[in-house]
Amino acid sequence: MTHAIDIRSVTRSYGSTRALDDASFSVPEGSICGLLGRNGAGKTTVMSIIAGQDRPSSGEARVLGHTPFEHAPTLTRISYVRDNQRYPDDYRLHHVLRIAPAFAPFWDPDVAAELVDGFRIPARTAIKKFSRGQLSSVAIVLGLASRAPVTLFDEPYLGLDVSSRALFYRVLLQDLAEHPRTVLLSTHLIEESESLFDRVVILDRGKVVVDADRDDARDLAVTISGIDDAVDLVATGRRVFQTHAIGGLKSVTVAGCIDADLLGRADRAGVKVAPASLQDLVAAYGAGDATTADHQVGARS
Amino acid sequence: MSSITPTVKLHLNKRETTFLVPLYITLLVAVVSVLIALIFWRSGSQPGSDGWIIGSRNNPGIAYSLPGFLVYLGVQSIGTTFPFALTLGATRRAFTAGTLAWAAMVSAYLAIVLAVLTMVEIATNHWFSGFYIFDIYILGTGNIPRLLIIVFLGALTSLTLGGVFGAAWVRFGNNGPRTLGIAMGLIVAVVALLVVPALPDLMDAFQLWWLAVAAVVIIAASSTASWAFLRSATVR
Repeated sequence: MTHAIDIRSVTRSYGSTRALDDASFSVPEGSICGLLGRNGAGKTTVMSIIAGQDRPSSGEARVLGHTPFEHAPTLTRISYVRDNQRYPDDYRLHHVLRIAPAFAPFWDPDVAAELVDGFRIPARTAIKKFSRGQLSSVAIVLGLASRAPVTLFDEPYLGLDVSSRALFYRVLLQDLAEHPRTVLLSTHLIEESESLFDRVVILDRGKVVVDADRDDARDLAVTISGIDDAVDLVATGRRVFQTHAIGGLKSVTVAGCIDADLLGRADRAGVKVAPASLQDLVAAYGAGDATTADHQVGARS
Repeated sequence: MSSITPTVKLHLNKRETTFLVPLYITLLVAVVSVLIALIFWRSGSQPGSDGWIIGSRNNPGIAYSLPGFLVYLGVQSIGTTFPFALTLGATRRAFTAGTLAWAAMVSAYLAIVLAVLTMVEIATNHWFSGFYIFDIYILGTGNIPRLLIIVFLGALTSLTLGGVFGAAWVRFGNNGPRTLGIAMGLIVAVVALLVVPALPDLMDAFQLWWLAVAAVVIIAASSTASWAFLRSATVR
């Protein structure tokens, strides 16, 4: 399998803050990979490094077989618009649409026109006066119309209304079907985006905690819920990511998949078990340090 | 694929700011110069007299107004354009080279525009009224080759000086331009301290080409410093 993106033991420090900590993961060519995690987990930092806008303090990032930093042939094949992208003074939409093709060899003006029309991006308003959603729309136009072989979307849905998000999904899938490319997409709208991904990478405090196919990731955790003592009994010995308790009821997200042993114990204890959703998994990893069930005293919520 | 040409296009993308605003400023200077000349006329000075010509040719309005805008243009050519250039896929090296090429193009454009206006002024016997707007000492007193060099080097110096402040801001945030400004002030002060005792001799020996050499040194130093700042700059 060829990897479009290969991150090897990348650490990035800003002063005493370690934004990425020995992170390693790969994104196969042609896949749509979700980059998930809490705010400050390191998503934007790793995207900046992949896009050649930043350099690792140590480790190596390779994109399409090359180190992207200052490598012009690779940079023309990457599209990355930051969630807080700055534009030159007094820029309007037509400035962006006029200059982008000069840098993007695969630019498609029809895709750009369709998105501009669909998002209803104002033509006469200065970009610095755009709303959050309108800025996201411009970023999506740049990302999709550039048809870059490696396309990075950093929180593309910020401020977008439901109709605009639906348009983004439709054009993304339609265009990717006709012009396959590798997409790395960071988002907090996990349930809504989950079906897009064929791979997920979850970051927490700069570390890669999950790097797996989407379906495999679902097997990484289980939610056990019921009466608190019974839940504790069934969860004994398993790594607990997250606990919610209300009155005498409890729900815990624990590591592992649903197997016959777990089902049998759950049945005997009268508790429910269900595979954790991707959102549960991200929330669980982001909730804090995991503990082991037999060390748990009381409930954490 | 080099991104030097796309970077030049990126800077030229704001056509009004690049090509028309300098003309608006020049036009405004011309209008103000004419108004001042009219005031002198009303106060008794005679167009065409020796005093009128000497006074008019000492008008430094264009030197006060245009460089201010060009320094701003230089600052924004890096300060706000660099992050977008990286987003589009420019390398730092190509961005620096493309920005210098664009600055040279803008400087050449301004030199040609002012040369044409000066030629028109001379051909019309100073706008048929004895108004000296471009045929002035600071622009070479009607000497077109000298005017071309003065305006080109002056504009390029302003743009690259602005650029290095923009690059310092991109690299170091607010501390960058502040520290750079203090460093430049100190350098000027130290040079002044060293030169002041010999100033009368230097004034006697002064040659115009010294200014050209100084401009070339400033342009080269600013461009090199901009590259040094940008090569390690990250966008966050």
